[in-house]
Amino acid sequence: MGGNRSTLPAAPAKPASPAREMLRHFLRHPAGMAGFLILLAVALASLAGPGLYGVDPADMAAAPFEPPGPEVPLGADYLGRDVLAGLLIGGRASLSVGLAAALISVLIGVAVGALAGWFGGWVDRVLMKVTEFFQVLPSLLFAMVLVTLFGASLGIITFAIGVVSWPGVARLTRAEYLRVRGLDYVRAAVAGGGRPHYLILRVVLPNALPPIIVAAALAIGVAILFEGGLSFLGLGDPNVISWGMMLGQNRTYLLDAWWAVTFPGAAIFFTVLAVSLLGEGLNDAINPRLRKRG
Amino acid sequence: MSGTTIPPLALSVEHLGVTLAGRDGPLPVLEDVSFGVPAGRTLALIGESGCGKSMAALALMGLLPEGLRCDTGAIRLLGEDLAVAPPARLRALRGSTLSMIFQEPMTALNPVFTVGEQIAETLRLHQGLDAAAARAGALEMLRKVEIPAAAQRLDAYPHQLSGGMRQRVMIAIALACRPRLLIADEPTTALDVTVQAQIFDLLKTLQRETGTAILLISHDLHAVADIADEVAVLYAGTCVETGPASRVLAAPEHPYTRALLACSPRLRLGAAAAGPAPDLLEVPGMVPPLGQRGPGCRFAPRCELAGADCNHPPPLRPAGAGRAAACWRVGDTTLEAVA
Amino acid sequence: MNDVLLDVTNLTVRFPAGRAGPFGPRRHVHAVDGVSFQVRRASTFGIVGQSGSGKSTVALALMRLVGISGGDVTLDGMPLSALRGDALRRARRDFQMVFQDPYASLDPRRRAGALIREPLDLLEIGSPAEREAEVLRLLSQVGLPAEAGRLFPHQFSGGQRQRLCIARALASRPRLVVCDEPVSALDVAVQAQILNLMRRLQRQLGLTYVFISHDLAVVQHLCDEVAVMYLGQVVEQAPTHRLFAAPRHPYTWSLIAAAASHGAAGQAMRRRHLTPGEPPSPIDPPPGCRFSVQCPHVTARCRTEAPHLRPAAEGHLAACHRMEELGVPDFGLAEVA
Repeated sequence: MGGNRSTLPAAPAKPASPAREMLRHFLRHPAGMAGFLILLAVALASLAGPGLYGVDPADMAAAPFEPPGPEVPLGADYLGRDVLAGLLIGGRASLSVGLAAALISVLIGVAVGALAGWFGGWVDRVLMKVTEFFQVLPSLLFAMVLVTLFGASLGIITFAIGVVSWPGVARLTRAEYLRVRGLDYVRAAVAGGGRPHYLILRVVLPNALPPIIVAAALAIGVAILFEGGLSFLGLGDPNVISWGMMLGQNRTYLLDAWWAVTFPGAAIFFTVLAVSLLGEGLNDAINPRLRKRG
Repeated sequence: MSGTTIPPLALSVEHLGVTLAGRDGPLPVLEDVSFGVPAGRTLALIGESGCGKSMAALALMGLLPEGLRCDTGAIRLLGEDLAVAPPARLRALRGSTLSMIFQEPMTALNPVFTVGEQIAETLRLHQGLDAAAARAGALEMLRKVEIPAAAQRLDAYPHQLSGGMRQRVMIAIALACRPRLLIADEPTTALDVTVQAQIFDLLKTLQRETGTAILLISHDLHAVADIADEVAVLYAGTCVETGPASRVLAAPEHPYTRALLACSPRLRLGAAAAGPAPDLLEVPGMVPPLGQRGPGCRFAPRCELAGADCNHPPPLRPAGAGRAAACWRVGDTTLEAVA
Repeated sequence: MNDVLLDVTNLTVRFPAGRAGPFGPRRHVHAVDGVSFQVRRASTFGIVGQSGSGKSTVALALMRLVGISGGDVTLDGMPLSALRGDALRRARRDFQMVFQDPYASLDPRRRAGALIREPLDLLEIGSPAEREAEVLRLLSQVGLPAEAGRLFPHQFSGGQRQRLCIARALASRPRLVVCDEPVSALDVAVQAQILNLMRRLQRQLGLTYVFISHDLAVVQHLCDEVAVMYLGQVVEQAPTHRLFAAPRHPYTWSLIAAAASHGAAGQAMRRRHLTPGEPPSPIDPPPGCRFSVQCPHVTARCRTEAPHLRPAAEGHLAACHRMEELGVPDFGLAEVA
């Protein structure tokens, strides 16, 4: 028996890591890639667009309600400001609020969910009560209260959105931790001498992460919509142009200047759609049960 | 059992070939597999995981997963070729003439209906019984599968029953319409040993009553030895040995069957229990995965008797009374002639 | 140095099982209920039983992977059941486990080499360079090539994965290895490879195994002493050769009959000794002998008074009121080919 070594499967030159497999599947996912490309285009446009286009979005250069034409490609709003210039610069606020708020909600949600799911018992009960408290708060009203109390700066708005949107992530993370915690390889890691922080962060987290990544992608979309909603209600940062702010300011003139409302609305719509497609692509790439076995 | 006349075949599988659509053309999953199950008898299809035994069962049911197709050979159920039957005909046959029980009775039962409803539904669907008659039929089936307090259990949900009870319910559903062929895919693997023996006893009793032919799929030759009349041993998609169960067990012809029998420990009782156990015989390596099967005899890379002639695939050749083996060595290396 | 490595006394594990009705008393599953045994150094102690007998819970309790509700576990003088926190963590190098399902017990996101190394890293055994060398040594010890260390678990077959699990369990050079059904998820031919490997490693390294299995033939093949569990309790315990030559408990007879050979002898044994039905729920076990619900030899006394383990012969214990009366069944005709 001593010399009897079992043969290994014909190993590929680079052993396929699960993460690399996922990436490969994602790159082949049409909807996911479409979403990714749209988002990339929106991000590039809002980063480089204002400089390339060169029109000050606050400058009342055109006539009010100037329709789209050679002077102003997407028309001008009720003050004669260039809508395209607003769209390009407004993407920065919308995207950065979306990303930052999603990050905050994921950080809070994962921390709460991981601790509750790993430790169980009273830790779980207390943390889940807190989560439920945040879940039953009407989130828009709560965010409005925060903004009213602390002022309508972009930072406060981002924080407010993050703080009201973490409970979903927390519940998801907790469920994943409960599932993974009972698996034999986690037990094996306990038997192998893992300390709690090692088990929580290095063993369970990587295996609980896939659905959390999908939820995080979708949280970006929700946060963009949320910011749009706040700005629409006039609670946005008055010093920063965002798509929601453009919508809110021009909504009364919808019948006179449809372009000033339609284009920011379309920008929000396509960005959120792209985020959803991206999430779907990630979900399919990550979830092996839906993946066809090759 | 060998002296009596052989009843007509309920199922006859002839030169069955199943392939998996692959990137570089179809990969063979099953190749030239032939076996027959006489009415009222049991044939055990034996093999390790990856040998294709479950695919054979699904091919018979017309339930091959996407990407797999049965492209050569015939599957004759009472003379009718299922391999070319239209889907509607297969649906009509499944559950009535042809039925199946699975390894995991929990996932095969619908959790939101009572077991009585699930048995009754089969009866209503295939025998056109009205609700009251179907319920009465369901109760009778539960009694037949020896479920204690059958009348109360009729209204139980699957999760309220133990694993053994659930498998009995599966058997009740499968046999409700008196099928001519029952396919049992590892029906006792998920159950405890004592329950396993009970389930096999039950299948045998019911078979005597109904004359159903049973195709039993298993990885364990020893476990099915008592219930099976005939066995067919599969290795890497080919049939390597067929014959009466007792004779194959007593004197296996094919080196793979011999290895399979020799490498599992046997219970030694009474006086034989004394003394330390010897090391088990080992077959080196493992079953070749799909697409990595050699051109010759599939077992040759692991076979201690392999020689140059094993580069040609050996056909299944007669090897004594009612037996056949696919090995060039059979004839010159048989351990002992079976009288 | 004394001969006993592992001493288990009155081990009890209970799980909460909700309440009987909204205001009823809290109920418990008595998964393990007062189990005691001793395991000698470099020997293999087998625990057999059906699912729900508590045998796997014993394994997890010995490993301190489930909470122990009562009793003592002592490993070579070290009170395992009393250790907490970091003391327990550091003690883990002396006892390791091989799990049933090699597909579930390896983290799918780490390479095989990292998985084998993990206990060495976590328990800070050796220098980093020594750990690398140790991984290669362990791979070769379980019959895997050095390249295997770079692959991910999904690239291995079931048998190879179980070899990885064994290598990982041996990494910290434990004195006790608890094996929970280590071959039952494997194909027959692969089972033989793993069983032979385990025996070879035991001879080479002087390992002590606690071996949990439902398969009597495997237990007989590997173990020196066997305990039979039923519904959380040990009903019979004996040196292996004695247990299979002269079993004294009707439940053991039933297990043996179920596993006995095919053919007339095996069928006769099953007719005589196989018990009908299935074990009752472990939530509210019957007050007397727990096997009384299924036992063909039950008397009124069995239903009210729980039998205790008592000696049937030298080193042979059984828990049955009617042990003397029932004697030893005749397995002479059932010697297996």
